[in-house]
Amino acid sequence: MTSPGRDVTGARTSGRTFREVLYCVATVAAIALLGYSSSDAYVLTLAGYTCAFALFALSINVILGGIGEVPLGQCLFFGIGSYSAAIGMKHGLPFEVASLVAIVASLVAAAVIGAITLRLTGAYFSIVSWGLTGVAMVAATNLDQITGGPLGLFGFPPITIGPLQLSDPRIYFFASAVILLAAILVLVAVRRSPFGAAMESIRQNRHLARSLGVDVTGIRLKAFVLSAPFAAIAGCLCVPYSQIVTPEVFNVGNTVDGLLMVLLGGSQLIVGPIIGAVIFTLIPQVLDLDPNVRILVFSAIIILIMVFAPGGLYQLANAVYGRWGKESGAESSR
Amino acid sequence: MELLAQTLVNGLVLGAGYAVVAVGLTLIFGIVGIANFAHGAYFAMGAYASYLLTSHGVNYFAALPISVLIVAAIGLVSEVVIIRPSLYGSSHHGSLIVTFALGQAAIAALILLLGPDPFPVPTPLGQRTIRVFGLFVTEHRAFVLACSVLVLAAFGAWLKFSVKGQQIIAVAQNPRGALYAGINVPWIRTLSFVLGVAAAGLAGALLAPISTVYPTMGSSALIVGFTVVILGGMGSIAGAMLGAILMGIANALFETYVSVSWTPALGWILVIVTLLVRPQGLLGRAELHRH
Amino acid sequence: MLSPPDKPPIVAADGIVKRYGGVTALNGVSLEVQDGEVFGIIGPNGAGKSTLFDILCGITPPTGGRVQIMGRDIAGLPPHKIARAGVARTFQRTAVFAESTVMENLLFGRHMSFRHGVIGRMIGSRQYHGDQAAFAARAQEVLALIGLEHDGGRKAGVLAYGVQRRLAVGIALMADPKVLFLDEPAAGMNGRETADFIALVRAIAPGRSVLIVEHDMTVIRELCGRALVVVDGKPVVIGEPDHVLRHPEVVSAYLGADDDE
Repeated sequence: MTSPGRDVTGARTSGRTFREVLYCVATVAAIALLGYSSSDAYVLTLAGYTCAFALFALSINVILGGIGEVPLGQCLFFGIGSYSAAIGMKHGLPFEVASLVAIVASLVAAAVIGAITLRLTGAYFSIVSWGLTGVAMVAATNLDQITGGPLGLFGFPPITIGPLQLSDPRIYFFASAVILLAAILVLVAVRRSPFGAAMESIRQNRHLARSLGVDVTGIRLKAFVLSAPFAAIAGCLCVPYSQIVTPEVFNVGNTVDGLLMVLLGGSQLIVGPIIGAVIFTLIPQVLDLDPNVRILVFSAIIILIMVFAPGGLYQLANAVYGRWGKESGAESSR
Repeated sequence: MELLAQTLVNGLVLGAGYAVVAVGLTLIFGIVGIANFAHGAYFAMGAYASYLLTSHGVNYFAALPISVLIVAAIGLVSEVVIIRPSLYGSSHHGSLIVTFALGQAAIAALILLLGPDPFPVPTPLGQRTIRVFGLFVTEHRAFVLACSVLVLAAFGAWLKFSVKGQQIIAVAQNPRGALYAGINVPWIRTLSFVLGVAAAGLAGALLAPISTVYPTMGSSALIVGFTVVILGGMGSIAGAMLGAILMGIANALFETYVSVSWTPALGWILVIVTLLVRPQGLLGRAELHRH
Repeated sequence: MLSPPDKPPIVAADGIVKRYGGVTALNGVSLEVQDGEVFGIIGPNGAGKSTLFDILCGITPPTGGRVQIMGRDIAGLPPHKIARAGVARTFQRTAVFAESTVMENLLFGRHMSFRHGVIGRMIGSRQYHGDQAAFAARAQEVLALIGLEHDGGRKAGVLAYGVQRRLAVGIALMADPKVLFLDEPAAGMNGRETADFIALVRAIAPGRSVLIVEHDMTVIRELCGRALVVVDGKPVVIGEPDHVLRHPEVVSAYLGADDDE
């Protein structure tokens, strides 16, 4: 029988709940601290942008850490988000409404694309995924009536969410941070649910999962559709930052950046991509690197991670702090 | 009619270049078992090597084989140092990410070392055109076509008749069986990888005078390579060649008769359609093995 | 013990044919497994028994012939629906979820019967607690059966090979299947592990039907009421193990092959 204070897998519940509440409070406190202590517009705007990109990294991890595929084409939904927001605003829609359109568009796109492409796995899936962004980029460049062509869409009216002016760096940061926090809560809940368990079983061993009654195809599709709106919202949130949307949003390099964030922090934890996002944005700021040096350094880091510590910083942290999360497995890390 | 024939010929020449890249890619996929996302980088390296050599006075015809050797050497080092450790034991998507990162790093390094601007590579064959069956082909393009065909034929013969070639075929069909038969499978994998990227390097050096040498030339080569390989069937060399010809002709026809600006999307659309309708490609084998 | 002959067989295969390209892996195999039987499938390497096995549990479609489980035609049914109908199987390779703990492995085996969703989990709904309690009870039973009562928190990947195989059976048992397919379960086991495994199958067999593909003749003799021999894709004989193993065709097919004792 379950003993009080532990759930079925043996993990402490009361201890875990306390820890979770602590993490939440600490995160909120950190956000508040950063938001109120700094008055540097640059720092705040960058922090807001980091939150938005972290959201994108989270959406990548739903697929990578969730069902175990490399979604090179995830920037497709990111781009759909950006363009929906931009096109909506150009047609007089307020930012919030345009963002809602973006979410719906990404859901529909994901359902259609997923239904067709998820029968593929591994490199095949990744290549098709990548290919779709290639097509999207060409389409965005050529359909200039709608998308503004290669020069893109810019010159938006002041962007607001309700009464909040996103042109104020502090408000932009808070808005992005709150949205990110909400996303984290949703994804944690998903991971702990039977749906999350099904996803994990698929990631570890697809055939075994299927023989246990897991509807592999259905779950994969649901995960894919779940990931899309997070990427789309991230795309919307980047518009106030960059103030322009060009076909470059569909560049696979964006997904690669997101992938790096996920790998840096570790794909096993929900917060892994966020840690990775912070590091990823911080390093170039601190070191002021030439863009190509940055690519070189980050690519080298990816290679080192994949060769020595595929689990990212999380794996390293576990190795260093020998006791928790490893062999005894008594405290489930999820 | 003449426009059509001319277009077809241009497509054929394009296809020949694609074929060399694609055969290398499919070799790596069939033997080493990874989708080599760094393949385009080796293509670019071959081009850059030919530029560096010719700009220091080396004759183009001599620069070609030297460039190939340089790329082969780099390929050897990268396989042993980076790819092998990350392949064995890691998760299935490890090699995809690693090769992608490798490719990105290589291209960034090229930009840092030599700058982002394109460089011309002179060829002794110049711009003279020759008439072949009443159509015009520049001498260099004819050379690319002839060289590609020659190299591919020689490679095919080597595969079939040499000991190492036979071993490669054996590993492709049954790695474990090959191991038990005493074949040094890890080194065959290394050899295949080196041959594969060397092919990409050769294609890069061959096409350099036509396209000039610039850092992102590798990305297009990579995309085209994957498109052709998937079209023809992953792991099938004949398929890669067939796919390359079809791709080259399709591209040329599309560009001439339909629209230039949508042409980049053509390859992707073909890939997507192929993977959905006939995932094993034109000449690939359907999945047989038990999980 | 065989069930009375007028009850329908729990697994029925009729004229199974399987072709891959130009190769005929199976050529007209038929069998019937009665409710409550432990049924063996044996044959030399490459004889097609693994293919037959995959077809019987619905993973591979046959080129010709029919398979019925519990009276239902399984052709065209997706594997997860077959699983939900009460069929479970173990696999030769990658038999467990190596990155998860033993308990989590068992959880994976059970969750198709969970009724609560994401919201239920968050708010601690009644269904959530009900599901958890049912799972905990079943998990304790299964852990006791497979002898891993104290190993719930260990990572499946570090377990000894024989122990992993027992865990694989445990996972399959979590859903309380009516039909259990065991794919060469004793492969790679030593004598002691094999004996333990035989005891395990004996303990779980009552109330279920079990099909075993095996090379190890001790396992077949000890556990199976009847066995089918497949040679070169064709059925040779069905009957009690001792009888079947003395059949002249079987003896000649196995001549020179190992007979693990």
